[in-house]
Amino acid sequence: MNSGFYDIVVIGGGFSGLMAAITLADEGKRVAVVSRGNPVCCLSTGCIDVLSGHEDPIRGIAALPDEHPYHLAGEEATVRALGMFSDIMAGANLPYMGDVHENRTIFTPLGTQKTTCLVPRSMESAHDHGDDYFHVVSFRGIKDFYPSYIMSRHARAGSSVYDAGVSATSAIAERFEDKTFLRKFISWLKGLDIPAGSIAIPAVLGTRSAPLIFDEISREIQRRIFEIPTLPPSMPGQRLFSRLKNTFLARGGSLYWGRDIASVERLGDQIEAVTIASAGRPSRVQGKAFILATGSFVSGGLYATMDGVKETVFGLPTYLPDGRSTWFNDSFFVPGHAIEKSGIRVDSTFRPLHAGWSNLFVCGSILAFSEVMKYGCGHGLAIATGVAAATMCERQV
Amino acid sequence: MPEMIKADVIIVGGGATGCGIARDLALRGISHCLVEKGDFASGATGACHGLLHSGGRYVVNDPEAAAECIAENMILRKIGQKCVERTGGLFVRLPGDSRNFRDRFLRSCDTVGIETEVLSASRALDLVPTLNPSIEEAIKVPDCSIDPFRLCMLNIVTSQKKGGTVLIHHKVRDIIREKGRCVGIRVQEDATDTVTEIRGKIIINAAGAWGDSVAKLAGNSVPMTLSKGSLVVTNHRLTNMVINRLRPPSDGDIIVPNEAVCLAGTTSIPVLDPDTLEIESREVDIVATEAEKMIPAFGTTRLIRTYAGVRPLLKADGANGRTISRGFRIIDHHDGMYSIMGGKLTTYRLMAEKMSDAVIRHFGMKTKCRTAEIPLEGQDQLSGYPLSKRLKKLENILCECELVSREDVERVVATVGTRHIGDIQHRTRLGMGPCQGGFCTYRALGVIQESGRIGPDESMKMLKEFLQRRFKGIRPALWGDQLREEQLVESIYLGILAMECEE
Amino acid sequence: MDSDFQHCIRCTICVENCPVFTVNPEFPGPKQAGPDTERFRCDDEKSIDTWIRLCSQCKRCEVSCPYGVSPADIILKEQLRYSETHFRPLTALLFARTHALGAVASLVTPLVNRAASLRLVKYILRLFGMSTYMPLPEYRFHTLDRSRRRKGKRKSPRKVVFFYGCYLNYNRPDIGRGIRDLLVSFGLRVVMPKQVCCGLPALGNSDFDKARRYALKNAAVLADYIDEGYDVIYACTSCGLTLTHDYPGILNVPEGKKIAENTYNLHEYILKLMDEEYLKLDFKPVRRRVAYHIPCHLRALGIGYPAALLFEKIPGLEQTILEDTCCGLAGSYGFKKKNSATAMELGKIAAAALQATAPNAIVADCGACRMQLQHFTRLPALDPSEILIESLRPKGEKP
Repeated sequence: MNSGFYDIVVIGGGFSGLMAAITLADEGKRVAVVSRGNPVCCLSTGCIDVLSGHEDPIRGIAALPDEHPYHLAGEEATVRALGMFSDIMAGANLPYMGDVHENRTIFTPLGTQKTTCLVPRSMESAHDHGDDYFHVVSFRGIKDFYPSYIMSRHARAGSSVYDAGVSATSAIAERFEDKTFLRKFISWLKGLDIPAGSIAIPAVLGTRSAPLIFDEISREIQRRIFEIPTLPPSMPGQRLFSRLKNTFLARGGSLYWGRDIASVERLGDQIEAVTIASAGRPSRVQGKAFILATGSFVSGGLYATMDGVKETVFGLPTYLPDGRSTWFNDSFFVPGHAIEKSGIRVDSTFRPLHAGWSNLFVCGSILAFSEVMKYGCGHGLAIATGVAAATMCERQV
Repeated sequence: MPEMIKADVIIVGGGATGCGIARDLALRGISHCLVEKGDFASGATGACHGLLHSGGRYVVNDPEAAAECIAENMILRKIGQKCVERTGGLFVRLPGDSRNFRDRFLRSCDTVGIETEVLSASRALDLVPTLNPSIEEAIKVPDCSIDPFRLCMLNIVTSQKKGGTVLIHHKVRDIIREKGRCVGIRVQEDATDTVTEIRGKIIINAAGAWGDSVAKLAGNSVPMTLSKGSLVVTNHRLTNMVINRLRPPSDGDIIVPNEAVCLAGTTSIPVLDPDTLEIESREVDIVATEAEKMIPAFGTTRLIRTYAGVRPLLKADGANGRTISRGFRIIDHHDGMYSIMGGKLTTYRLMAEKMSDAVIRHFGMKTKCRTAEIPLEGQDQLSGYPLSKRLKKLENILCECELVSREDVERVVATVGTRHIGDIQHRTRLGMGPCQGGFCTYRALGVIQESGRIGPDESMKMLKEFLQRRFKGIRPALWGDQLREEQLVESIYLGILAMECEE
Repeated sequence: MDSDFQHCIRCTICVENCPVFTVNPEFPGPKQAGPDTERFRCDDEKSIDTWIRLCSQCKRCEVSCPYGVSPADIILKEQLRYSETHFRPLTALLFARTHALGAVASLVTPLVNRAASLRLVKYILRLFGMSTYMPLPEYRFHTLDRSRRRKGKRKSPRKVVFFYGCYLNYNRPDIGRGIRDLLVSFGLRVVMPKQVCCGLPALGNSDFDKARRYALKNAAVLADYIDEGYDVIYACTSCGLTLTHDYPGILNVPEGKKIAENTYNLHEYILKLMDEEYLKLDFKPVRRRVAYHIPCHLRALGIGYPAALLFEKIPGLEQTILEDTCCGLAGSYGFKKKNSATAMELGKIAAAALQATAPNAIVADCGACRMQLQHFTRLPALDPSEILIESLRPKGEKP
């Protein structure tokens, strides 16, 4: 057997790709993930938005337009997939809390509240802070967090600033990994004698050791405390991604990271292999089946030219509502610009339409009609379609 | 009771002309008050190429205008050592461009006194490696580049030092007439709606494209033709010299390096209302296509923004926007009001000189203009050129694209107030880089909030207004990398920051 | 996708993944050092980026960029430009000549090795700008240069040239000989040709001319062998990256493309031989629990982790792959005093991550990683070839 021959090759190491890859690795398949770089979920809040416009996001799926890719997975499968995700994260020591049938809120660095569904433990208590006293802890010099945004929306609020010695989000998070630093911070926090209520802190409580750091602070301070996800670089996003990726590695998966796909080898109606533009000479990665999970425009799964949209790996036909002048609304604040409908249309088996590939499957935000911003469904859709596409793909192999 | 300000001269309009007049009058000891409905340079001044012409563009068809340009170019280099970038310019001749025109160009430059140097294609490509390799030749001219906002603000430094009053974000509501003469104006501040009355002996209407509507408030009129010009902004410098097309002036034939970007344009489309400007996709296509002929990278380069301004041209019946003279005219309405119309950025100082001369004559004085001799004040604050000088200080940076520090932002907030993020943007270049304020807007607003100056509702309003205005400029350039950028920024403000959307 | 910096949309993923930025606040991060300041740099003007040398060239930024932009490449060019007009410290001059340094040190090994551990000598080294948190690697007299250069069946259809690199040559020639003999046991004709340093330390210490000179020297030798039907093998992943990426790239070696196309990672090559059914290996059990630390430059090669695939075939071997942390030594980087705090911090972090998997040995393809991790974990750090040799036990070799 060829060393570069896998059962399934997943192209795109993002949320949906990794969920698909883990699903298949769990079924005993030999899986490779090929990724040009780190995914966009690193930049996210780290929370799972299932469907933000409805109180019960699962019920809300039924109300979505027919073309929405959630329907490809279906409500039951989505619930199962979300359960699978929760199990994975529990196993990776980054448990997620929440009820898939009930949306909840977290705080934003702007002081607004964001609707989401599943959250890491460090953001669990953001939901019920009530009208209690509100204390914001920040760090000297931090550029991406300003207590006044949050305090100004609360009648009874206060803030304190800690000098961590460094001011970048990721540098502060790294400091928290140090036990001596954590102890010093905790004794400072205790010394503030904060009145009963909630404490909000930017999401810098470690990376590798999260949520243990949060747990220790919680135990010692005896107050309701929660993290607020920051602008990128986002530690919760980074934590989520790295746990998923390492789960995949731990289940025997192979990674080909950091290089573009140089070419695609086809035979009849099958994709045979992809070659990676590795240093020196392309590396060949063969598979019985392939899953395309390269994401939307930001990551480059889709590319918009001056007059059209391309799918950048296989050149699949892409759906595009209309010409460039219609892509965006006049207003920045209208959710769901027309361009967000763009993407790959698939049949009920997640195979791309009008493309004729028997062993290629598509999942995640590259799917047409995802409209992730409009419906607030980014990560939920990634999980649902990743698992569902993997299941379809498995039948093929 | 509305406040009352008294000054000898009231200047309406904070573009280059108005600011130039303020400086000139200040140096001649005339008390004045300048009012501007937006921020400085919010009209044509802030929406042009930022080009200090050598005059080459007009030399064949309008040698008088060209002569003015080169003279002013030389003056501005002298008085604006740190704010004028001496990029030099090239007029490139592509295969098919008229040799006849090229000869006339050289002859006219010679006559008018514009220094030229004829360069072979290979020499031109040495200077600007991104040029189209199939150019026939290029003619070097002394073009320069300048930030028009900065120019206005430096002029205002003198005005304020000498006691001039400056009110930005104040719109003229009415002009007060007594006994058939204009004796004052009432202005309204846009944020608070406070009305202020200003009394003066002379009112100068330097309102550019809004000149006619201002004049009408006094029962006067200034017939104008309004012509919209749209430009695009690139992600980074594709050239360090101004690139012009060696042919009769047409659409899209200028590319100007400005700070860390290039500005390319422009178009010429008649409009009626200077307040509602839409940039059409086809304008962007025209500009990009024409620019690509001179610098091929324009075909694939990333554009980060588009903008448009309205040329306030003196009306000439039957002429199109391009052939109307770019010269300026001073109109005495014989009721205490003067209007100064037309002109271009390069000749702002000359326009201001002539207008101030008229004011001096009106007052029966003889004080001479000194704006050509005295260097612009306030330049010590600037890092100057070349651009790499900006890299000296990299501490506490809020806008990482344009290297704007927290101190810079706090300084502007302290001096100008905090009503508009745009004010900070114009003065520091915050948010004018590739991400167009994706990260730094939130940060700058955070800094303002920390200072306790504004409450949450107001800051949300400011943020929304800024993001909306920003989006309008970016929208026509949304494809390729800038579309990706926009999706990222959207996920930040509408996703992570959960800003409210309209239904 | 080209690595044109205009694709950078400031997403900050590179910043999140930069080990130096995370622990050293003086370094502004790959986004700032790369695409951000690139818009302001001018070839005609002197470089003033005093912090530019703080970048360790680990390449994690380019590997993590979702779009393939390489801040590391932008920064490397600027490091070279900066050094044209700024004084290079003694340590930079020294490490650019790793090759010469090794040649001299290996001549007087007992002296050098003993002296290097003396407090006085360490003090002097620190005066000269070197960091001494870690003992200096020991040098060996019986270098690979002095070992038998040609081995294996002369008429073998498979011929390889082993590019061993300075660390194996001067510090761990035993590993180098082990690899040579392992390849011979596969029936290959193995040649260890005359070679000099790959050039990476020179490049990383801003001596472009020296780097290029080394590269041209090596290229001449390697190209000749390639023309005669040899494949080039490397074991050190940093040498490999230099040969396959920098020779045709920034060093602009005329035969660079040919060399890049015919150069293989040792384990990649073994897998290739197995795939082509030239080799059928009988992997015997190795009862070890290893934490496989993936060197940053192996990730940058984009060839996956071939040694890990081989390890999967070894019965009894438990491996955990760790690829999230840079060990911090980064070649000569951590041996400079100004970087020692950074290197130590990163070393501790990497060690903790490895130790959390409760291994009894560390594996890493890069000599620098092995030195650093052995120091901070106090566990033995092995080259992957050592595990293979344990399992395959080529004839005559004791387990």
